[in-house]
Amino acid sequence: MAGVWIFAENHTQGLELLNTGRILADKTGSRLLSFLWHDHQVAEDYLACGADEVLLLPPLEESQPLEAYIPVIVDELREGDADIFLLAATLRGKDLAARIASRLDTGLCSDCISLKLDEDNTRLEMERLVFGGAGIQKVFCSSRPQMATIPPGTFEAAVPANSRREGKIRELPSSPATAVKILEKKAKERKSANIKEARRVVCVGRGIEKEEDLAMVREFAQVLGAEIACTRPVSEEMRWLPEDLCIGLSGIEIKPDLYIGLGISGQVQHVIGIRDSKIICAVNSDENAPIFDVADYGIVGDLYDVLPRLHEELGKLL
Amino acid sequence: MPEILCCFKWLIDESYIRASSSGELDLETVDYKLSNYDRNAIEESVRLQEEYGGTVSAITVGLPDSTKGVKDALSRGPEKAYFINDDSFENLEPSQTAAILADIISSQINYDLIICGEGSSDLYAQQVGPRLAEKLGIPCISYIQKVQIEGDRIVAEKKVEDGIEVISAPMPVLLTVLPDINTPRIPGLKDTLGASKKPVINISKDDLTVSYEAKIHTNAIIAASMERNCQKFGSETEDIANLARALAKEGVIK
Repeated sequence: MAGVWIFAENHTQGLELLNTGRILADKTGSRLLSFLWHDHQVAEDYLACGADEVLLLPPLEESQPLEAYIPVIVDELREGDADIFLLAATLRGKDLAARIASRLDTGLCSDCISLKLDEDNTRLEMERLVFGGAGIQKVFCSSRPQMATIPPGTFEAAVPANSRREGKIRELPSSPATAVKILEKKAKERKSANIKEARRVVCVGRGIEKEEDLAMVREFAQVLGAEIACTRPVSEEMRWLPEDLCIGLSGIEIKPDLYIGLGISGQVQHVIGIRDSKIICAVNSDENAPIFDVADYGIVGDLYDVLPRLHEELGKLL
Repeated sequence: MPEILCCFKWLIDESYIRASSSGELDLETVDYKLSNYDRNAIEESVRLQEEYGGTVSAITVGLPDSTKGVKDALSRGPEKAYFINDDSFENLEPSQTAAILADIISSQINYDLIICGEGSSDLYAQQVGPRLAEKLGIPCISYIQKVQIEGDRIVAEKKVEDGIEVISAPMPVLLTVLPDINTPRIPGLKDTLGASKKPVINISKDDLTVSYEAKIHTNAIIAASMERNCQKFGSETEDIANLARALAKEGVIK
């Protein structure tokens, strides 16, 4: 009984995977099964949103990491002869996926941004970004299950069906103890809470000469109603802004309506984090800076000279 | 005292990659480098050695002409390197790299701790570390920002979406490190010269005892296009006013 299986860390990600999973299950004429661990209350929602079966993973002890589920998930996928297994590409999700793929001796497409079935509705044709966002790698998986991790926000969330959908809810066995223990969980100081949802983002790069100069950028951002962010050198080398405001590869990815990059050269590792912005605007003194190749609008000029006047001109329109 | 093994990859420096007019990636004129995140992995290995003693070795799988990469890695502190190389080791996918590493490590190398970068700066699949741990049957703590050794256990701070998990695991253990765990030191001339004298253990395909067929197959790598206006303005006040009006017209300033 082949089928499509999904695993997500939270409800929203779950709905996103249900949406794409349902399409794949319909095309392959198979069932859609969802693991669920974080909130058993939403099992009925999952059925309404497209799952044929919801598999409840028993709650973990406080000290047990998410990886405790690996043996149970692996057994389930094997017994069910899973054809496709999709996971949300969270940090824990990616770790889990790689380890499950290893145990099942199968291939995994990491951070898959696009997937579709081939003409025979058997093989998944998947795409992912490589070389820091400069290239798109098109891959397929020759073993089963075909596995992929999918970044949250890649697909729309599924909505409940109008008519009542029938489905099963099944409890899975509890997980064996792990050698790895969680000693403590520290909640994040939510500095970047608004960045991912921000409609406007002002981002600073190496072109900022002194930490004090951030004050004028902050004022500018405030006038725009924008959140402030930075490139990796600013957070990692200068340590002027916290690491969770760093945009790009191994940082965060944003999708604002307006992104304004100040003194940013436009290295591919940064650009990967802004590629889904609606409008990209950049100020840089080097007219050959790669940021201008990926910007809708650019100003070639000295940041310190341009910013006060940009501040003023935009202020007039707000 | 811990025996530490760090993994590294010698790869294309993506900042040299340009898209050709036909939408292909031009990989002809590129230069190579040590994967960014592996520099953090090597640095953390050396830092732990400075704190707790023990040994640091480095290991890589690659093409025979990656010797420059081996030297680069050694210049950053490890005492010796295991260089698994063959002409066919181009474009290995993560399951193959992990299988090859696991085969050699389990048969030839003693270790308490294996440290990998969180991903490679070319393909960034972030799979080799966790897959290698699975193949070796040891615990894996991925995406860590901080690590210390406490007796025969590793205590590490692992980044998760909603904060940090402080994790404890018995050695041997595999870690994958985030770039913010440290700032890799830049090798000096002495380090570079010294690296040439360090032992390199060459391992060939004939030494492998397992099979490692690719499971993920690449049909193509094309240039990621960003459909953008690319309109440039000067820095005169009139230019800036025009830009402001253009943003207003786009509906993003109102």
